[in-house]
Amino acid sequence: MTITRRDLALGSLSALAASSLARPALAQGEPIRIGWLAALTGPSSAPGVGFNRGVIYAAEAINAAGGVKGRKVEIITRDTQGDPTKAVNATQEMISQAKVHAIWGPTNSGESLAVTAIMARAKMPNIHPCVVDSLIDTKRYPNAFRIAPSNSQWDDAVRGYCLNILKTKKVAVIGDTTGYGVSALKASVAAFQKDGAQVVYQSNIDSTQPDMTPDMLRARNAGAEAIVVWSVSTGMDARLFNTRASLGWDVPFVGHPSMASGEIAGLLARPANWEKVYAIGYRSCSYDDKGALPPHTQELVDRLAGKVQLDDTLLWWVAAAVDAVNLVAEAVAAGGSSGEAIIRHWNGLTKHQGYYGTYTFTPENHDGYPTEDVVMSAANTAKNGTFALAPGYV
Amino acid sequence: MDAAKDHLALPGGRAALRPQALPTALLPFLGLLALALLLPLTGNEYWAMIATRAAIYWVLVAGLNLIVGFAGQLAIGYVALLTLGAYTTSVLATGNVLPPLPAFAALGCAAVVGAVFGVVVGLPALRLRTFYFAMTTLGFATIVTQIALAWQDVTGGGIGITGPQMPAPFDTAWGFYYFCLGIAVLCTWATGNIARSRFGRALIAIRDAEVAAEATGISKPALLVSVFIFAGAMAAVAGGLFAGLQTYITPEAFTFELSLLFFIAILIGGRGSILGPLLGTILLTLLPEIAAPLAAWSTFLYAVLLLVIVLAMPGGIAALLDFASRRPLPANRAILPRPAALETLMRRRPAPGRLRLDNIMLAFGGVRAIDGVDLEVAPGEVHGLIGPNGSGKTTTLNVVSGYYQPQQGRMTLGDDPLVSGRPQARAAFGIARTFQTPRIIGEATVLQNVMIGGTIDGRATFLETLLALPRHHRDERHLEQAARLALEAVGLEMLASARADRLQHSELRFVEIARALMLRPAYLLLDEPAAGLSSEEIKRLGSLIQAISRQGTGVLLVEHHADLIFDICDHVTVLNLGRVLASGTPAEIRVHKEVVSAYLGA
Amino acid sequence: MLASILASGLAVGAVYALIGITYNTMFATSRVMSFTAGQLGMLGGVLGSLFMLELDLPLVLALPLTLAACALIGVATEFVAVRPVLKSLDQHLYVLSTLAVALIIQQLTALGWGTEPRPFPRLLDLGSGMGDEKYWLPVATCAVTIFGLEYLYRRTLVGRAFIAVAEDNFAACALGLPERNLRIASYALAGAVGALAGFSGGQLLLAFFANGPLLNFYGFIPVALGGLGNNRGAVIGGLALGLFQQAANFTVGGIFSSVMVFTMFIAILLVAPQGLFGSPSTRRV
Repeated sequence: MTITRRDLALGSLSALAASSLARPALAQGEPIRIGWLAALTGPSSAPGVGFNRGVIYAAEAINAAGGVKGRKVEIITRDTQGDPTKAVNATQEMISQAKVHAIWGPTNSGESLAVTAIMARAKMPNIHPCVVDSLIDTKRYPNAFRIAPSNSQWDDAVRGYCLNILKTKKVAVIGDTTGYGVSALKASVAAFQKDGAQVVYQSNIDSTQPDMTPDMLRARNAGAEAIVVWSVSTGMDARLFNTRASLGWDVPFVGHPSMASGEIAGLLARPANWEKVYAIGYRSCSYDDKGALPPHTQELVDRLAGKVQLDDTLLWWVAAAVDAVNLVAEAVAAGGSSGEAIIRHWNGLTKHQGYYGTYTFTPENHDGYPTEDVVMSAANTAKNGTFALAPGYV
Repeated sequence: MDAAKDHLALPGGRAALRPQALPTALLPFLGLLALALLLPLTGNEYWAMIATRAAIYWVLVAGLNLIVGFAGQLAIGYVALLTLGAYTTSVLATGNVLPPLPAFAALGCAAVVGAVFGVVVGLPALRLRTFYFAMTTLGFATIVTQIALAWQDVTGGGIGITGPQMPAPFDTAWGFYYFCLGIAVLCTWATGNIARSRFGRALIAIRDAEVAAEATGISKPALLVSVFIFAGAMAAVAGGLFAGLQTYITPEAFTFELSLLFFIAILIGGRGSILGPLLGTILLTLLPEIAAPLAAWSTFLYAVLLLVIVLAMPGGIAALLDFASRRPLPANRAILPRPAALETLMRRRPAPGRLRLDNIMLAFGGVRAIDGVDLEVAPGEVHGLIGPNGSGKTTTLNVVSGYYQPQQGRMTLGDDPLVSGRPQARAAFGIARTFQTPRIIGEATVLQNVMIGGTIDGRATFLETLLALPRHHRDERHLEQAARLALEAVGLEMLASARADRLQHSELRFVEIARALMLRPAYLLLDEPAAGLSSEEIKRLGSLIQAISRQGTGVLLVEHHADLIFDICDHVTVLNLGRVLASGTPAEIRVHKEVVSAYLGA
Repeated sequence: MLASILASGLAVGAVYALIGITYNTMFATSRVMSFTAGQLGMLGGVLGSLFMLELDLPLVLALPLTLAACALIGVATEFVAVRPVLKSLDQHLYVLSTLAVALIIQQLTALGWGTEPRPFPRLLDLGSGMGDEKYWLPVATCAVTIFGLEYLYRRTLVGRAFIAVAEDNFAACALGLPERNLRIASYALAGAVGALAGFSGGQLLLAFFANGPLLNFYGFIPVALGGLGNNRGAVIGGLALGLFQQAANFTVGGIFSSVMVFTMFIAILLVAPQGLFGSPSTRRV
């Protein structure tokens, strides 16, 4: 088959014209289009897959109940593979081509940093769960809302647990060599020092480094009473845990949620190596010593039963995505689907109860997740995507 | 001049190389530009973004094309320079180290930084073999990313940094698009100027016939460094624009896949073409957008595409568009040298001194290939060099043309000593040569191949050529005239616009002679020029060589055809086992006892 | 501390050296540097984990199966990416064709096996601490491999034929040596050596699709240092690189250690393009 260049050019030009001209003015009964910037494939796609289940479930649930004032919810998903360049293209496509009403995502910080300004320029209502603090800035990005904790809230929780519950005064802080690892480590070290704790050892470790012994030895020799880990690499997490065991050391690990990932189980020399590892979790998605979830969360789990698989993902991913879709739907129900209306609605939310958290937004504060709901969970206690609270919480 | 008619038949992709073919060769570019200018009619900012991205990638690819597609240096990790440019522009525009600069000034600084690091990244190419060079460019890509990550105070580390904000009217999606499009057009024009100049031809010569390139006086280091500067600057500008488009950059944005995209766009497009890689870049930028569900498979598809191209169509898109090369060449053609053209070509030359070899000794690992050879060639003389296989004839030629460094002995041309080991310096002395196996650029036309012979006659600098200043045009006119004369002299003018790889072996021998004539050589070294020629062709070759010598050129002829040697030589030297066995007029040699028994046979 | 640097440095160094030998083995009979060398190492880990943990095969079955599979991939590489471009070796098309095959292998692994590192089983369950098998297995494997290869090359007819082809392709052909079959055999052998690298280093590197490019680079450095085609040079270069890298990891941290390794590599290459134990380049004219 041969396609001449002219055919190709004419074809694409007419496609362009059709797509931009054939868009009717806002019609009643037009679906509510929610853009969903997902990292569904590529490295570290596990959260994307979890969020995606929640998105699909929530949209189907709303549509099955008749939609929002008769309008169906339509999800427009683009797989970004976690690549900022692809995310930028997809965002612009959602804004200019698909003309979505709001965007959920992206779900990792590198992408989010790249697309936030583009969404702000288009005044596109945006909710995302990315942790980097600078992503939320109500002056520059009045359209962006965060329904997950920020990095400093994570950091507060980890530091709070180390200092107040474990009662340690000397910590070692370890990060990987990715952008996230480097910046999280710096922030964490600074905050510990500000709170008067002693950071006796800090290091960025290449996550492919085969042996963690020297770093762990130095941390031990420096007198660390807890090791704070900021890395998304499960391989590195597992090596750290194994090394701790081979040194016969019982120092607790506290830090990034990746330490509770299911993949770690297979990477451990002994299951016991996963004891005394406390990863960031959420009160809403944690069970108490009787194994009971908070009632509101239990209700969601019951509704998800049989529809959404939970044993290979985390509940909070699913729950946050359900909340995100619901937040858009509720905003449209309250004030219509214009961007300003959605943003105005969100700005007025106070203690709005979702499944994953209880959100409060004001025009001056778009960090909606309550810090007290960020808790530590025992990393090796995963049960249908939920975790046991770490020891010390009431 | 009916040159214009010749060129109408030229292939689209290759035509980009040719100075005179502008109107036809330009059409596809003008078509693409028209499409690009019509794009805003859609009013869809998504397409503005994709088209801007394609334009930005092209700014980088256009420069890289000279390195990869023309010079054949496999720089896989060129994303390193995009990263560098993106960070330089962003850091300067944000004011992390100095007071914030305006976006344009920051872009300019990035271009300078890119030019410097373009040389740093490229330098290993001057010393290392292909695969090694490819690996070092990958190494640079890693280093740049790691530094961006670690140097948090300046680059923002993993958190990243805001991209430069263009001033009005370039601060809107379409404004920025026009700006990038403008730079892309400029880049296309500038690389086109280089490609269609002696520099572009010399780059291809380095790629496909490096040894021959040296013999014509092309200095690989100087040429490559100029190209590295240009490509580095363009890549860094592309980086600055990339940062502007992304609005925010983190090290994660500069993936190996992106580097691969640049690299593969060139190979899909076809080596030695500009239109091809341009289409390749557009294609690879659009592909993931059109085939969004294929996102997970994109790298896999790139890889398959690459394999298919390498194995099935090494010429890429450019070869597909190269319609002219599928037309048959005239059958029953003959090589009809016209010595009259030599007069015009070779006139106005100072008379050279004698070429003298004095007691030359050269050994390869203990084996003496040449063992004390004395040789003297006078201007205007045809000097035959004969001997059995392995007697050191070609080795002697290689010593004269500077490829081998003899352990002993002296070489002079007139009063000037000839330094060994620097073959690219021979052309300046007026020493030209041909090779036993013709070293021709198959993908270039016959005319271009011949023009390469005159590379050192060009006067325009790289920068002048880049900007198409008058001296560049004068060079091209002059070189083309000379090349057509040289082709006429050897009898191949009707094949001037044919691709060289379509010629017969015997014709290639004459192309090599034409290329050597471009130097208007004082001495011409011919290495078995009659091998593979018909007896009729050998006769014509003989009279051509004599005609050349009548212009005052000394010819050193290595040959096995005894008839040819004894017919046309003024003087014959016989080598055996690396030593001179006999030396004298053909008549003397014919009856020399030892020569007869050792070589000529009873 | 020192013990740890030595143990892990020698261990990863041995893996790098084995990949270096993989490069050399392919180069010897074809004059081609193949980007698939690192991917073979990656596959050694992934396939080992697949056979032992997913399919529950015992070591005595899993190891030969892994070696055979990688040998097969080596042969396939020869057919797809090497043989077609041998005619025009000076155009360096092999860089592109082997890069393409390497990417295809890596992407298929990512799609079929996943993009998260997955566990690799303990093989013998011997040793602990610094004497753990994960440290000495690669070193032992490297030693066995190099002695095995030396024996093959010096004591067997096939091995001498290999050397003959490696030293002078044309002459070997003229002598009637089955040059093509020897080349195929050397690609199979290279596949097996690469697989051994990944298999013996599996506990260190895990079964991870992204190990390919990493091993490609770090496995190439010993070749560059030791001189192309010089297996002993590759072993020395590999161990030196491993020690240097681990020492740098522990002294300047993860970020700067990779910058240091790459900078050292480029600098050494520029100073000694033939490697520290290599011979000068051959004639061109």
